[in-house]
Amino acid sequence: MSTFIGIGVSEKKDPFLAAAEAAKLALYQLHHREITLGILFSTIHFADKRLLEGITYSLGNIKLLGCSGAALISSHGILKYGVGVMLINSDKIKFGLAASGPINTKGPRAAGEEFAREALKNLGMTQRDMALILSDGLVENGSDLLRGIKDVVGSSFPVFGGSSADNLRFFKTYQYFNNELLANSLIGAIFSGEDLFGIGVRHGWKPLGKPHTITEVKGNIIKKIEGKPAISIYEEYFGKSKEEIKNTLIRMSIYYPLGLYVPGESEYLLRNALRIDEDGGLVCQGDASEGNDARLMMGTKDWALDAAAQAAQEAKSALQDKTIKGAIIFESISRHKLLGRLTEKELSRIKEVLGDVPILGICTYGEQAPLKSVEHYGEPYFHNETIAILTIGESHAANKLV
Amino acid sequence: MPLTNSFKEPVILENILNFAGMFGLIAVIALIIILVFKMEKIKELQAQLAKLKRAFDELDGQAKLIVQTDLELHHAQEELDKKVTGLVTLQKLTRMISTTLDEEEIFRKLEEKHIVELGFDRALAFSKDDANIYRARISIGYTMEETNYIIKELLNHPLILDKVLDKNKVFSSLDTDKDKASKEIPDLIKLLDISSFVCAPMMKKDGAIGALILGCESPYTRLTEGDKDLVYILATQIGQALENAKLFEETWRSHQELEAKIQQRTKELSAALEEIKLISKRKTDFISAVSHELRTPLTSIKGYASILALGKLGVLPPEAKERVEKINKHSDNLSQLINNLLDISRIESGRVELKLESLNLKNITDSLTDMLAPAMKEKAIEFLVDLPTGSPLVKGDKIQIERVFINLVGNAIKFVPENGRITIKAKMLDPETVQVSVSDNGIGIPEKDLAKLGEEFFRIDNDVNAKVKGTGLGLSLVKSIVAAHKGKLTISSQPGKGSTFSFTLPRGVI
Repeated sequence: MSTFIGIGVSEKKDPFLAAAEAAKLALYQLHHREITLGILFSTIHFADKRLLEGITYSLGNIKLLGCSGAALISSHGILKYGVGVMLINSDKIKFGLAASGPINTKGPRAAGEEFAREALKNLGMTQRDMALILSDGLVENGSDLLRGIKDVVGSSFPVFGGSSADNLRFFKTYQYFNNELLANSLIGAIFSGEDLFGIGVRHGWKPLGKPHTITEVKGNIIKKIEGKPAISIYEEYFGKSKEEIKNTLIRMSIYYPLGLYVPGESEYLLRNALRIDEDGGLVCQGDASEGNDARLMMGTKDWALDAAAQAAQEAKSALQDKTIKGAIIFESISRHKLLGRLTEKELSRIKEVLGDVPILGICTYGEQAPLKSVEHYGEPYFHNETIAILTIGESHAANKLV
Repeated sequence: MPLTNSFKEPVILENILNFAGMFGLIAVIALIIILVFKMEKIKELQAQLAKLKRAFDELDGQAKLIVQTDLELHHAQEELDKKVTGLVTLQKLTRMISTTLDEEEIFRKLEEKHIVELGFDRALAFSKDDANIYRARISIGYTMEETNYIIKELLNHPLILDKVLDKNKVFSSLDTDKDKASKEIPDLIKLLDISSFVCAPMMKKDGAIGALILGCESPYTRLTEGDKDLVYILATQIGQALENAKLFEETWRSHQELEAKIQQRTKELSAALEEIKLISKRKTDFISAVSHELRTPLTSIKGYASILALGKLGVLPPEAKERVEKINKHSDNLSQLINNLLDISRIESGRVELKLESLNLKNITDSLTDMLAPAMKEKAIEFLVDLPTGSPLVKGDKIQIERVFINLVGNAIKFVPENGRITIKAKMLDPETVQVSVSDNGIGIPEKDLAKLGEEFFRIDNDVNAKVKGTGLGLSLVKSIVAAHKGKLTISSQPGKGSTFSFTLPRGVI
């Protein structure tokens, strides 16, 4: 009665060979035990059907979840070009897989709902404990997607996830579901495994300047702040015109996102602005509410590094006295850009907390994780600019049986 | 009384009213005073609020300043990070390609992961092949079909090609409005299906041989001047590596040609040597046969001449006796000549089996002294023998080695003037080899004749040889004997000062 996790990473230039190599390395670490679930992450360069053929070649037909991202994170380091495989063997974890799409035709909320129903159906009559989701990072309203899931599983059900990325190309992101290469989809699993998962989410960004009240919102578009078009907040702070900001908004909002005050939480909920709409409103990846206080946020490398350690600590503490067997990380591409050459240092800060355990992660366009405070009853939210860590644990009792 | 009472009531009322009025007045005054104070307080608070608001606005203003400065810092930091990462990758790539001497391999080393590490997504390189046609060398992010199409289309962009390939300048999508070539930027961006690019010449010593293009797909990747430098350095390194590969190939090719020539020449020389050996054998065989045929009749001539000279067939008249003695003497000379020739041919053809034994040089020189003493005495020659302590042993055939000494010392006696000096020395050349030298202070040998010495029948043209007859075979015989002992004969001489004949022999064992 135990859980085993192995990881493998490859930089081979052919997607098939890279996936096959990474899979074999992970299987070797797993001592060739039966595979309960496989996680596959790759940089966008490997998003190809042959990637999944490589997995099948090495492992046969396994249950697999994965996505493309901007950079690959593993216990061995951060790669801007590579493939990573995590293999889990566990007789304590049960799950139901599901995929839903295309999101753009069904709508994010409907896709979220469809995913949750399908996953629950596949899980069966077992207790449900946590959802792991991977979604298309180009979905403009990530909150709506999450809302669809919450409609089915309840608003306090823990959801942990990441939005797949394509290295700031914003052209197409990919999801890997079993042996299928998908795009424009939401995939994931609902797990049963009480107290086996710990979640930590932090960003480290701090508010700057005075609070501004959001006066008009339309879904994920902040139309007006203090009665003025929302873009005015960037115009005023950066001393640039709307036209000047238009082409650099994404980069600007990576470093200076909007922070929404969340009562009871120590950190603000961050929102990246994707573009400016015709009225000067800011189209964000997540939603906001009228009356919310919005602040311009600023990050430093030190704060970002501290936040990573805090997120790791949070995920570790959530497991209480259980042994950490492995961890999955979703890190915002924004943090990756901010940290630059210090990303390796961030990884070592995480490893200092979690110890020498198999880690696999990917740089994403958005993260989904619950807020911890009592006011929010563990309700999951769509985040930007965070590092979200999921620890997979196992009780000491289980260890003793091994 | 009732009047008084009725009078008193209004007075009390009046007093009460008066009192109330006064109280009210006092209260109003007090309220006015309080109001005035409150007003002051409100004013003060309003002033403080305004001050706070001003401070708050000022702080917000400072926040704006901070954020703008921070943005600049971010850009600078990002550029620096990119540069450092780029330089690390560049250094790695340079090391890889500079150690490669195969042209195709140089291009193969540049993989997609390196392009990504350099901060780009796609790469294309093209250069002219032997037929002077542009050919794709690197293609990352494009299919072969797309690559060929792009290269074909690129040739329709003369302004960019002129700038990069002819003027050897690096060119990028940053260079908008910088010169004429910038007109072609939008077209190139569309053709390459990217958002930004850097194009740099791959330079060899005699100019650009092609171009390297690196491009970014994301419209949000910020290209910098630093990126241009990086790509320029990389393209230059590739050019230099190609130059090195070409030089190596040329050197290798000429080395191969030289090797082939040497092999051919060696083959020819071997054939010539075989022919020479054959000729030499034929010559030796001929000399041997002829000498043999000559010796038989010569023995008869010499025998009959001796009988006649001794008067066994009757006393000869003096004139006849003189002639017969000459016949006898010349027969002796001819016999010696034939014997020497036979010996040389035997030794050269390997027909003489050397009886190798350890010989004491001291014994040889002693018997030599006895043998040649009369001749040396005649010219009052000083004969010195300088052998190392312990008298080294040499390995050789006693008879043949004695002939070497007799010939060399005999020659020395011939060329040394009266009261001259002949020295025999021996030394260990190495643990296995003994070198023996015979030196004299005779007339010496002209430099031009040194190389010819040892050739059969060669005699130096000098006064001594003109007077003293010889066969010209003595030194040839010495040379053959020494060679048969795996030794070497060397001659050094200074005309007028003397000559030294040295030969080596293997060391003997006790």
